[in-house]
Amino acid sequence: MKINPFFRTSVLALVLGVFTLQGYAADPILIGLSITRSPPGSVIQGTQIKDAMEIYADMINAKGGVLGRPIKLLIEDNQGLPEKGRSAVEKLITKDKVVAITGAHQSSVCLSEIEVAHRYQTPYVNTNCWADSVRVKGYPEVFNTSPYNFVVAQSMAQTLEAMKVKRVVAFAENTDYGIGLAKGVGEALKSKGSNIEYKFETLDRASKDFTPAILSLKSNPPDVVVLTMLPPGAYIALNQLYEQGVAASPKTLVYDGAGMADYPDFWQNVKDAGKYMMTIGMYHPDMKLNDLSKQIAVEYKKRTNNDPNRLIYQAVDSLLVVTEAIRQAGSTDSAKILEAMRKGKFDGARGVMTFDSTPGVAFQQWAAIPYVNYQLTDVNQAVGKTTLLQGPGLPLNTTKITFPKN
Amino acid sequence: MLFLDLTINGLIMGLFYALMAVGLSMIFGVLRIINFAHGEFFMVGAYTYALISTSFGINPWFTLPMAAMGGALLGMIVERTLIRPLYDGYRSWSFVKDEYAVVVTFALSLLLVHTVDKVIGPSPFMGPSLFDLKRIAIGPIMLNGQKLMAAGVSIFLLIGLAIFIKNSLWGKQIQAVAQNRFGAALAGIDPIKTTSLIFAIAGGLAALSGALLSPIVNPSPDIGSFPAIKSYIIVVLGGLGSIWGSMFAALILGVLESYFAVYLSYDYRDAFGLLILIVVLIFRPQGLAGQKGREV
Repeated sequence: MKINPFFRTSVLALVLGVFTLQGYAADPILIGLSITRSPPGSVIQGTQIKDAMEIYADMINAKGGVLGRPIKLLIEDNQGLPEKGRSAVEKLITKDKVVAITGAHQSSVCLSEIEVAHRYQTPYVNTNCWADSVRVKGYPEVFNTSPYNFVVAQSMAQTLEAMKVKRVVAFAENTDYGIGLAKGVGEALKSKGSNIEYKFETLDRASKDFTPAILSLKSNPPDVVVLTMLPPGAYIALNQLYEQGVAASPKTLVYDGAGMADYPDFWQNVKDAGKYMMTIGMYHPDMKLNDLSKQIAVEYKKRTNNDPNRLIYQAVDSLLVVTEAIRQAGSTDSAKILEAMRKGKFDGARGVMTFDSTPGVAFQQWAAIPYVNYQLTDVNQAVGKTTLLQGPGLPLNTTKITFPKN
Repeated sequence: MLFLDLTINGLIMGLFYALMAVGLSMIFGVLRIINFAHGEFFMVGAYTYALISTSFGINPWFTLPMAAMGGALLGMIVERTLIRPLYDGYRSWSFVKDEYAVVVTFALSLLLVHTVDKVIGPSPFMGPSLFDLKRIAIGPIMLNGQKLMAAGVSIFLLIGLAIFIKNSLWGKQIQAVAQNRFGAALAGIDPIKTTSLIFAIAGGLAALSGALLSPIVNPSPDIGSFPAIKSYIIVVLGGLGSIWGSMFAALILGVLESYFAVYLSYDYRDAFGLLILIVVLIFRPQGLAGQKGREV
C-alpha cells in the first residue's frame, strides 16, 4: 500500500511534536537521595527517610510540582559505607545530573559524600548526620536540618548536672557520631565547670557481646550510663546492662543519646531492659504539629502502618529545604539554590528553619532544632505516654525521674 | 570477682564460637575449601527460630529443632547444587577449585543476606527466650537465663558430636573421607553421601547456634558476618580441619578476648583474636591441634 507522502510527513511531525511537548511539560527536577537500602548500614533509617521523602514529593507533585515541573527522586544505595556513598553521590551528580543531594543519615557516610558535593558545588542537605565535623568543615554547599552532636551533648550535660550525679560512664560506638557525641558530653560538662567524674569507653558497633565492658562496672556502678550508640548495637548493650544488673537499677540509670526509643522495633528488641531508660528525643507527640506535619503523619501512618518519628519529619524538612530553595531561587542553578538556602526561611514540619552562618559546629545548621528529654516508665510504652522530663523549649524537671525499686 | 565473671562469660562465648566453628572445620577437613556462606547458615537458623516462634506462637523448645533442620536442609541443598561440581564429575575444574569455592560461597552469602533483607526486612529481630528469667544470680555472678541455657545445649551438642564422630559408623566414614577421599571410596565408603552429611551437620550446627543466640544478639540480615569471622580465626587457630582443635581454640579465644577487653583495651578486642592468630601461625603454622602437611 502506498502512503501519501504529505500524510506520512504530517503524522511524523505530529508524533515528534507530541513527544517534544510531553518531554518539555514533564521534564522533572531531579533530586538525588543517597541512603542505606541494604546492609551493613542502617536500612531501617534509610527506609524511613525514603518513605517520608516520597510522601512529601507526592504532595508537591499533586500541587503542580516546583516551577511547574514535577519532582523526581533518584535513589542510590550507599549501604552505610563511606566509599559507596562517595561513588553514589558522584554518579548522581555527574551521570544523573541531579540539582541537589539529600537523605544522608550516617555521619561517616556524610563526611565522604560532602567532599564530592563540595567538589561539584552541588547543594547537599544533611538529613540525619549528627557529627559536628560535617559542619566544622565549613563547606558552603552543605546545609543541615539534622540534629547535631553539639546541641545534644549540651542538653545531655545539662541533664546530668541537674540530676546531681557524681559518676557517669559513656559507651560510645566507634563511629564519628558515637565518639563525637561522647567526647562532646565530656567537653560540655567541663565547660560548665562540672564536678562529675566522666569517662567514655569506645565499643565496636558490629560486636554482639559488650559484657566484658559492662562487667568492669559491676563492682562500682556509675550513677548514669550514657549510650551514644545506634541499634542494633545499642539494643544489645542495653539488654546486657540489664542482664548484669548494672542498669537500670536503684543506683544507675541509662541515658540514651541517640533518640532510639521511638524506633519502630525498639520494644521488640529490648523488652524489660528498656524500662526506666532516659532519652533525648528529637520528636515527641507533645510537640506542636503544624498542618504539614499533621498531613505527613496521616499519610505515613496510612502507607506504612507506623506512627511517625523524628526521622520522618527530618526527612521531610530536608527535601522541603531543597524544593523551597528552588522555588525561592526561581531556578535549578546550583549557585542560586545555595544563595536561597543561605538567605531563606523555610516553614518546615518541625518549625521555621534558617541556617546559621557562623563558622564552627553550627555552620549552616538549623541551630534552634527542637528537642525533648523523657523517661520510659513501662515496657511497651508509647512515646506519648512516657514521662516528659523536659518539653520542647522548657526547663528540665528532674524530680520526675524514676528509679527501679530493686 | 571480676576475673571469675570474665572467665565464665568468656567460656560461654567460647562455647557459642565452637558450635559455629566445628561445622566450618569439618567442611574444610573433607573438601579443603572455606565456606564463606557459613555465617548465613547461622542467620537462617536465627530467623527461622525467631519467626516461627513469634509468628505462630509455637513454644521455642519446638522451634529449636526446626531451626536446626532448616540449617541442615540448606546445607544439603548447597552441597548438592553448588559444591558437588567441585568433586563429582568435573575433573577439569580441579585447577580452579579454590577460586570456584570462594566465588560461589561468597555469592551465596550475599544472596542470602539480601534476600532476607528484602523479604523479611532490615530491622533487628529478637527471638523468644528458652528460659524466661533474664537475670539469674549464682552467688555474686549474674547470668542471663537464655545464655546459660544456650551454653548447656551447646555443651551437650559438642559432646554429642564428638561421640558421634569418634564412635558411630557415619563418624568413622567422615574421618576416612577427611583422611583420604580416594582411599575411602576404594574401601566402599560413599564420599558423596558423606560430604552431603557433613554439610547437613555443619548447616544444622550453625543454624542451631543462630537459634540459641537469637534472643541475645538481636539478629538482622547481616548477623552472620560476626560469627563467621570468629569461626575463620578459630578454624585456623585450632588447626585446619581439626574438630578438637576448633573446640579448644574457640574456648581459648572466648576467654582471652574477655580478659583482653577489660585488662588491656576494649577498642582492640576483635583485633586481639587476629593478633593471637598471627602469633600462632608464626610459631606453630599448623595451628594448635593441626598436623604438619607436606606438598608432594
